[in-house]
Amino acid sequence: MSTVAAASVARPRGLAGRRARAGHGAAWAMLLGALGLSLAPGLYMVSLSLMDNPQLFAGRVVPWPLHPENYPRAWVASNIGRLYWNSIYISTVSMVVTVAISALAGYGLGRIRFAGRGVVYGIVLAGLTIPLQIALIPLFMNLRMLGLINTPLALIGPYTAFGLAFGTYVMTGFFKGLPRELEDAARLDGAGELQIFARVMLPLTRPALATVGIFVFLQNWNEFLFALTFITEGRMRTLPTGIYALLSSEFYGNYPILAASLVLFSVPVLALYFLFQQQFIEGLTAGALKQ
Amino acid sequence: MHWRRHATGWAFTAPALAILAAFLLYPIGYSLWLSLHEWDGYTAHWGAFVGIENYRALAEDEVFWRATVNSIVFVIVRTPLEVGLGFLLALLLNRRLPARSLLRTLFFVPVVMSLIVVTLIFQRVYEPNTGLLNTFLHGIGLGAWAHPWLGDPATALPAVIAVSVWKNVGFSLVILLAGLQGLPQDVLEAARVDGANAWQLTRRVITPLMRPILALTALLSIIGGLKVFDLVFIMTRGGPTYSTEVLATMLYREAFELNHMGAASAIGVILVVVVLSIARVQAFVLRESGETEPA
Repeated sequence: MSTVAAASVARPRGLAGRRARAGHGAAWAMLLGALGLSLAPGLYMVSLSLMDNPQLFAGRVVPWPLHPENYPRAWVASNIGRLYWNSIYISTVSMVVTVAISALAGYGLGRIRFAGRGVVYGIVLAGLTIPLQIALIPLFMNLRMLGLINTPLALIGPYTAFGLAFGTYVMTGFFKGLPRELEDAARLDGAGELQIFARVMLPLTRPALATVGIFVFLQNWNEFLFALTFITEGRMRTLPTGIYALLSSEFYGNYPILAASLVLFSVPVLALYFLFQQQFIEGLTAGALKQ
Repeated sequence: MHWRRHATGWAFTAPALAILAAFLLYPIGYSLWLSLHEWDGYTAHWGAFVGIENYRALAEDEVFWRATVNSIVFVIVRTPLEVGLGFLLALLLNRRLPARSLLRTLFFVPVVMSLIVVTLIFQRVYEPNTGLLNTFLHGIGLGAWAHPWLGDPATALPAVIAVSVWKNVGFSLVILLAGLQGLPQDVLEAARVDGANAWQLTRRVITPLMRPILALTALLSIIGGLKVFDLVFIMTRGGPTYSTEVLATMLYREAFELNHMGAASAIGVILVVVVLSIARVQAFVLRESGETEPA
């Protein structure tokens, strides 16, 4: 009954209809305006990366003639191949360790009722909010003492930890939502806890593992403060600080080259995002709204 | 067999706990300790115990108050804009639109972009002579408004906040849109049947129902705003004349440019206390609207 009423209300005619259409138009105008604002800076970067300096100083927005040779020059100037390798290596290793440990902890917190579980979960939740800057000085001092400054380990350790709270939080929520029957059936078959975890439950959490993995990878890939502080040697830098260092190099005056390296830096992240965006956004919102 | 279950639980969570303890809990304790000592960071170990001297010195430091006020302004201006604009866009997207999913994907792009990229682009946008913003203003006949946005202490902080809002609106949008899609459809339908128009529906029905999610989004934004570092550091380094200095950039400068490890640690401790207090409020707000413990 209510659906019939709703259908007749939903299709307004006459004056109301005109007003509704005007409202639609305004809504679209606002959406497209906002979309333009969201995308313009990125497009501006691409456009700058194809200019030369005279075009830039003339305040041009559209590059013409195009200067695609900025890209190979940027590649060489920032030694970006090396930076890519450092970033991929450090981001991936930390991500894999984070995902593995989050899965274990998520299973423990989500499926096993053990004494002290509330305290452990409290620490995880605190880890979600505490400003990581607090760890900067203590870690720097300890890494220096251990002689680990300027090594990949100096970042792999902290990055693993920084993604862990989020990872454990998401995995706990996901494990909690899995049906009991599977576990009980496996237990009746005589499977041990580790077998239940690895063979029965873990394969079911693939979407959550992917969410955590992508999220943590992006976080590691973009991290700046710790990379800036713990890596001071050019060869060992990751992409964000390597590009930052370009600012104080001979290319300071050549913004198009800088813009080209920014594009090169962004491409893998955006590719990853567009490939997995559904999973990424849904995982993220599920994590936030589950609280 | 109870002990066995407890032991299994601890075994599964032990690796995570060990790492969190080493990289989070221990640094907090260490920072607290350092904040009570004098140390230039050059010697292998911290120097003399000075009690609360570092905190007292901060209280008398004009720059510290500047940074505190800027951090507060940053949050007070950024959060309503981020949540408000995010909510507006989420409401606009929460209809049967063609390409809605594509729009959501595109609005989220600034969120995944790296801050160094965003910052360097906007430095170029704000550039006084040939930057995009001033060029645009000249182009539409508003040349009088052209301005050295980042060079003037009066406009530097608003300019940085604008970038922060630009980058994070998509995050609020995505969370709020998911919230809108999870609202009980029968309540909305009933209000529509009662003849509520779109405005009344939004104001009287949707907004009250969304209050917990709006509060959550706002708190995430507040906490994120208090932690802001990269954006300010790369864009202005806290300048000109400390007009954009925030707590996190001051911490970095005290530690690695001025070699005041004690004072820097004290700032870190203050930052943690502030953020955890706000998180307590968050926990309180969320308890009103549901559970927070793993059940």
